[in-house]
Amino acid sequence: MKRHLVPTLAAAAALALLTACGGSGSSDQPADGAQTIKVALWNYATTPEFKAIIDGFQQANPTIKVEPVDILADDYAEKVTTMLAGGDTTDVLTMKNVIDYSRFGTRGQLLPLTDEAKKLDPAKYSGLSAYDLEGKYFALPYRQDFWVLYYNKALLKQAGVEESKLQNLTWDGYATLAKSLTKGDGGTKVYGAYQHTWRSVVEATAAAQTGGDLLSGDYGFFKDQYSMTLDLQKNGTLMPWATASSQKVTYNTMFSTGKAVLMPMGTWYASTLLADTKSGKTKVEWGMAPLPQRASDGKVTTFGSPTAFAVNKNSKHSDAAKKFVEWASSEAGAMAVAKAGVTPALTSQQILDTYFALPGVPNGEVAKQAFKPDKVVLEMPVSDKSSDVDQILTEEHELIMTGEKSLDDGLAEMSKRVKSEVR
Amino acid sequence: MATTLSAAGTGRRRSSTWIGWSFILPNFLGFAALTLVPVIAALALSFLDWDSYSTPRWVGLDNFERMIHNDTFWTALKNTAYYAIGHVPLTLCAALGFAVLLNQKLRGARFFRTALFFPYITSLVAVAVVWNMLLSPDLGPVNQFLRAIGIDSPPGWTTSTTWAMPAVIVASVWRDLGYYMILYLAGLQTIPAELYEAAEVDGANGWQRFWSITVPSLRPTTFFVLIMLTISSFKVFDLIQVMTEGGPGRSTLVLSQVIYREGIVQGRFGYSSAVSMVLFAIVLTITLIQFQLQRRSER
Repeated sequence: MKRHLVPTLAAAAALALLTACGGSGSSDQPADGAQTIKVALWNYATTPEFKAIIDGFQQANPTIKVEPVDILADDYAEKVTTMLAGGDTTDVLTMKNVIDYSRFGTRGQLLPLTDEAKKLDPAKYSGLSAYDLEGKYFALPYRQDFWVLYYNKALLKQAGVEESKLQNLTWDGYATLAKSLTKGDGGTKVYGAYQHTWRSVVEATAAAQTGGDLLSGDYGFFKDQYSMTLDLQKNGTLMPWATASSQKVTYNTMFSTGKAVLMPMGTWYASTLLADTKSGKTKVEWGMAPLPQRASDGKVTTFGSPTAFAVNKNSKHSDAAKKFVEWASSEAGAMAVAKAGVTPALTSQQILDTYFALPGVPNGEVAKQAFKPDKVVLEMPVSDKSSDVDQILTEEHELIMTGEKSLDDGLAEMSKRVKSEVR
Repeated sequence: MATTLSAAGTGRRRSSTWIGWSFILPNFLGFAALTLVPVIAALALSFLDWDSYSTPRWVGLDNFERMIHNDTFWTALKNTAYYAIGHVPLTLCAALGFAVLLNQKLRGARFFRTALFFPYITSLVAVAVVWNMLLSPDLGPVNQFLRAIGIDSPPGWTTSTTWAMPAVIVASVWRDLGYYMILYLAGLQTIPAELYEAAEVDGANGWQRFWSITVPSLRPTTFFVLIMLTISSFKVFDLIQVMTEGGPGRSTLVLSQVIYREGIVQGRFGYSSAVSMVLFAIVLTITLIQFQLQRRSER
């Protein structure tokens, strides 16, 4: 109750005081014309592209110094909300997801970047349209993640399965393959596949590949994807959702220690694998394939979400901040991001070549195809209803996956709740 | 002569009042700035629509109306009551039981007192992780034990809508009982030994001594423990947030979580404040009833 409201309000008040004091005292414009801009970001030490972008930008703009404001990833959205409520002047804000972005944008907390966005070619920036808020843009994407199928090369070879078999996989094929790859029992069991506990693994996949609308309140299109997942869970191919959830199993442990052979996951995971391989934390031989599809017609539809930088409306160095945001989404910025092992928002052959030239990146035909999906659907449509719908879908997903509700009852309950509770 | 004396007395009394006030002033200032003002602000906010940034908009009773028609609010209210009804009596009985047991001159009593207090000072996140492991449906030691003694399909604990709340209650009783046990131990020290000796001479057995001497003598302590427990159960947040996050589904969702989600996560501070006002009213009412009952039983 008030216990939790109190710290926030107090924090907001304290922040307001602090920033008020700090604003007047700091030396904004030293004699030599050098400026310092602050960038709000998360987990600086373990998110390599931030350093890559900052270093690259500083090299290109020697008069501007960039200072990272490091925030814990799990608390990022709440922390930025509180900062902005307190009138914080941190110049650049990273938009971790588009739902938070639309909230900040519609509240008028961000500086419009419509002119800058119009300069970008929408054909090359697949995530750009997600930032369109009734014709206005308040952020430019620098990174675009989408889902692929990771696989353990050694385990696949052991089972005598050709890697090329993964190139044009359907979900039925995935289920059969995963079942045949499951081996062992108890502590030494190797699961044919691991699907993380997030609802998106099932729901966003279904929405992207059937064309269903996650905000519609009619969820019949989830059915096939759920049936397949529940079947695999029942016959022991997947770790039970309840176990994964109550043990707080991490997908990285499951895959990098060879406890699962196949794993649908976002492209961000590749940068973790690259870093862990480099530091010797894992020795797993991994590959990437396109996300399995409903039909085997060769067309690849997957889902994903972009990440962007925006300029705080209260920024005192808005020109320098805009420069930073523009640079991050430019060709040079995209190269820096790709070199850090992360997928940039801008796609071009040159950037793909840079990415696949990195040591440790699997660069066979299968991986290259995984990186050229025909269509990337936004993980969750942006609307003022998104977070309420997300909450309901998450709660009902838990009930379906733990078997507390039958699939039909669960889907019916989702529809009922979204229609009656979300306004 | 008499008048000068009394004048001096008033003067002294007045100055001691001021000294008294000055002693509580630092605490009161902190309370006012960090608790009183925000509480009043929350009351005002509950009639507003505010996202922490735009200008607040007066909406009258809209927030409360929305709350009454919101299924999630009622689910959370029921769950909060369920938690309190389980947590308060169980913790009270366990704390009293252990206090009486460890108040005797047993070998190792000191060790066990410390051991029982340990959960209270342990990091909550670690506690939640360990409990989740213990209660894991397939691999957890609890269910392995249950299977070993012949229960074929033991409960799924935190992954089952039926058993998640009992699991959370058990974990919270385990965590809190050490603290309340210390309070009871302090209460037990104040009971004069003569009472027990007299009862023994009169031929009362252990059970009779417990019910006729220990329990009535501990009434002030029990009253305090009851109030503190009730308030803390209605405000429960941290343990549930780290153990189940309100799940599976909404089976362990409590009011504090609704307040957190609506306010901090969704930025609907008006609605969130309205819910917190309801919670405040509930806790206040229950506390007042308890005070009333206590006063009546003292008479």
